[in-house]
Amino acid sequence: MITRVVEGWVEEPLKRFVDDARVVLALMLHPSGQVMAQHGFARAMDVMSACALAAAIHASASELGRQLDGKPFSGIHQAGKDRQLFLAEAETAQGSYIFVTVFDAESSLGLVRLYFEELRAGLASAAPALEESSEPILAEHFESELNRNLAALFGRA
Amino acid sequence: MSLVNYATREITCKIVYYGPGRSGKTTNLHYIYGQVPEDRKGKMVSLATQTDRTLFFDFLPLDLGSISGFTTKFQLYTVPGQVYYQTTRKLVLQGADGVVFVADSQARQLDENIESFQDLHANLADQGVDARAIPLVIQYNKQDLPKDLILGEPELRDAINFRGVPDFSADALHGPGVFETLRGISELVLKRLSTPGAK
Repeated sequence: MITRVVEGWVEEPLKRFVDDARVVLALMLHPSGQVMAQHGFARAMDVMSACALAAAIHASASELGRQLDGKPFSGIHQAGKDRQLFLAEAETAQGSYIFVTVFDAESSLGLVRLYFEELRAGLASAAPALEESSEPILAEHFESELNRNLAALFGRA
Repeated sequence: MSLVNYATREITCKIVYYGPGRSGKTTNLHYIYGQVPEDRKGKMVSLATQTDRTLFFDFLPLDLGSISGFTTKFQLYTVPGQVYYQTTRKLVLQGADGVVFVADSQARQLDENIESFQDLHANLADQGVDARAIPLVIQYNKQDLPKDLILGEPELRDAINFRGVPDFSADALHGPGVFETLRGISELVLKRLSTPGAK
């Protein structure tokens, strides 16, 4: 299985978690739904859908916790027939991230929670301080490329 | 915050379609989904009620292809328009890189449009986002309806577009204006990435 990460500092703690906790899928994302790292997904587009749904679960559960209990729920566990899902938040110097993992009979909730605490600590120590780049990312005149790509996407090229 | 992966040279941007209930936000996404080839889109996710009203959001990931050497991906979201889904709208709006405000052109919906536009500004402010700085375009949808039922572009512009942002007339059900709207917001969002210090 391939592990992909957006930023290098995430890779080592995530790989260690996947190996130790023996999970099937793992996702780390920004609360807005943007993927930061993934393990076990074959298609990039499926990762995006999973992130959108995970961000929604996290946001709605946090809000529900705030409304019912005065503070957001710290983690969620949902057991399916063959697979189980665990979702929780990790704080780093780069900000908060949502972590979601799916596991089967090869692992257990206890094991996942145990290694999640290690992952949380690993991410916190690996994250570099937040640095804003002042360099432009795209070329100044990108419009022609954008228009060509969109036209192709809509069959108008 | 557009997510930039320098290692794989990928950019991911979040675009939120906002507007009053039944203005055509989901219809925009359905039209886009129907036009785009399979290999350039993901599954469209709709969390809807039994009567197909958006309950939480619709989500459509799109691969725009390469721009300035970066593979550019857009995540399109809609919010539920009904007034009582206020909390959900706030959650979906979180981290948006750009907003498409879909207005319903029907004359009797003018107050709902204005209320929803004010709601958008309030929710952005709640999240510490300067509503004047975030990329925003307005779409006047349902311009295909009989002329005696709708307001024209000049009247809608007068009532809603006081900021003078790019705006587009549309018939999202059949397609006119959908592409132009997406192009408009894409340009504004990506322009921020081509400006020094604007990420």
